[in-house]
Amino acid sequence: MTEVLTGAQILCRVLVEEGVDVIWGYPGGAIMPFYHALPDHPRLRHVLVRHEQAAAHAADGYARASGRIGVCVATSGPGATNLVTGLATAHMDSSPVVAITGQVARPMIGRDAFQETDVIGITLPITKHNCLVRDVTELAQRAREAIAVAREGRPGPVLLDVPKDVQNQRTSYEPAGRETVPGRARSVPPCPPPRPLSEAAAEAARLIAAAERPLLMVGHGVILGDAYEAVRRLAERTGIPVITTLLGISAFPESHPLHLGMPGMHGEVHVNRAIQHADLIVGIGLRFDDRVTGNTAGFAPRAKIVHVDLDVSEIGKNVPTTMGIVGDAHQVVTALLAAVAPRDCVAWLEEIHSYARPRQERYRGDLSPEHIVAAIHDVTRDRGTIVTDVGQHQMWVAKLYPYQRPNTHITSGGLGTMGFAVPAAMGVQLARPHGPVWAISGDGGFQMNLQEIATMVQEKIPVKMAVFNNGYLGMVRQWQQFFHGRRYSATPIWSPDYVKLAEAYGIAGWRVERVTELEAVLAQATAEPGPALVEFVIEQEANVFPMIPPGATLSEPIEAEPVTTAGD
Amino acid sequence: MAQAVSILLSQELVVLERAVGELRRRNLPIESIAVGPAEAPGMSCLTVILSTDEAGADMTAKKLNKLSGVREVKRFPLDDGLACELALIKVRVTEQHRAELLDVCELFKATVVDETPDAGIVQVAGTGSLVLAFIRALERFGILEVARSGSVALPRVSADAGAATPAP
Repeated sequence: MTEVLTGAQILCRVLVEEGVDVIWGYPGGAIMPFYHALPDHPRLRHVLVRHEQAAAHAADGYARASGRIGVCVATSGPGATNLVTGLATAHMDSSPVVAITGQVARPMIGRDAFQETDVIGITLPITKHNCLVRDVTELAQRAREAIAVAREGRPGPVLLDVPKDVQNQRTSYEPAGRETVPGRARSVPPCPPPRPLSEAAAEAARLIAAAERPLLMVGHGVILGDAYEAVRRLAERTGIPVITTLLGISAFPESHPLHLGMPGMHGEVHVNRAIQHADLIVGIGLRFDDRVTGNTAGFAPRAKIVHVDLDVSEIGKNVPTTMGIVGDAHQVVTALLAAVAPRDCVAWLEEIHSYARPRQERYRGDLSPEHIVAAIHDVTRDRGTIVTDVGQHQMWVAKLYPYQRPNTHITSGGLGTMGFAVPAAMGVQLARPHGPVWAISGDGGFQMNLQEIATMVQEKIPVKMAVFNNGYLGMVRQWQQFFHGRRYSATPIWSPDYVKLAEAYGIAGWRVERVTELEAVLAQATAEPGPALVEFVIEQEANVFPMIPPGATLSEPIEAEPVTTAGD
Repeated sequence: MAQAVSILLSQELVVLERAVGELRRRNLPIESIAVGPAEAPGMSCLTVILSTDEAGADMTAKKLNKLSGVREVKRFPLDDGLACELALIKVRVTEQHRAELLDVCELFKATVVDETPDAGIVQVAGTGSLVLAFIRALERFGILEVARSGSVALPRVSADAGAATPAP
């Protein structure tokens, strides 16, 4: 049935048809027609954030937790530029976010109009696709395209810039048929696989059969491709030990005897040594990012590398590969399962375990990161989702929280965006209304987006917030301690009284300074029906060990505090 | 060795901007860049000559091929192809050096396309190094202005069609 609608109404209709149920946004001049139409579409729940950056992170968190697109909306100019960090975060971590921005009316474009900014130009390198809609007659198609491009292939953010007068223009509107969107914009993978998957799988299976020290390294692609079961079966069929990258955490159950841990800059010594001694690495859905590889010249010197990725341009980008297989993680691992012969790696696994060292961290003070993470695990168990920020706490949680269920660990990996956890956790909470969601931050990252507590209160989003307070920008301070002669330049950071802050926002808040208080406070926070804030006062100069110094290979970890001379 | 990357893309400026931005971000040494209309309607052809190895060109081609609005990316070592650049050079002409100028033009198969009593414009086409050599040869007459197009390139007929990565 054809109707005549405004551009703003068309946007809402397309979102409803595509199954969108939550929009994160902030109104303003150039997006007002959209906000005028919005109340007529009750299926679209709008969450008013306190800063557009939070809208983008929340949409990202929602997308990662739900496997569906996350939608954020902002006005032109400052509204649009405030989205940028969130879009770049989603871009680096392959998250399907759709951003809709208002733009000044077409006759004003290019005249430096009030709140005009070239958001298309600004976001070109940090979106998978972006598009200025020039006429209402193309709006529905562009909007459907934006959604399709965001979620298909390797997911990523897409931005749709809609001039105010286009939102007000009228045109006839046809609801979407189930036909595919005509493809002007397209997404990866652009190339047909170079040869049948079964052939590639057979070759990989021969490499697996011939290897004495094989490893599976799994990344975010396994979560995005819903390939947990297939990966677990592949590991069990071959006995190959499994390493999970930062974004691959929770792609493989940590209680599994084949699970090794996280590699790279803060990876455990035995995990990195396993990589350095391996003769075959099968990497699935990861980028071999520099935080994973250390100095690539010395990365896995004995290993052949089989790299499975949906994006052909990732294969061979960072490390030379023996063989690349282009495809969705689930498809490729399923093909591998059919091709591999059962085997075990008992001797190899024993060898790896013999590399393991007792944890070297020595925490002064009563309350250690280990205690806190263990206590949060006690109250969340297998029901919760943990969203972390960036820095020391992120590494502690990644290393210490024993993730069991798929996709229960969400963090900003590639971009390393401080301030991510609190707003992203709101998105995760709306995607998983029944599970507890914990946003864990440091005192630095928490103060970057704490304004979103107001959003949680207004929208009744019961995120539990944990703040590791050491009075420093801890990870930078750690680098200063190790590599800059302990010159703590600009890293001491003052915090407000978080309990009073919680009170000011009308939510429950606690300060925990002693291990003995942990259990009771976390139980109360968990029982709280609304949002809650728990501050953990930890040792000021606690460090994350082991650490591969920047530029070093995985064979050169720092396992304890180096002796430094102040001022050298 | 120089590598040619030839990109067939939608003629919208935003697509060109996206492609050029990708080249800038990957930080590869660009010798030449040229853009013109392609055979297919609504499409442009962007030709980039890179001083890199085959692996570098291959990675560049794959990254470019991901961009929305890019239809096809071909790459080939310049040794397996032909590259050609057009240049217009406005040069001072005096009666006493006129014959000498025409001799130089003949040597480089250049033609005089505009002339006044004091100056002329000569047009030359060829590889980037030929164009450079020609410009150098004209320096002694006095160069007033130069316009160069950047190189376009095609793989040789005898060569494999290059590593084409067509769209699905």
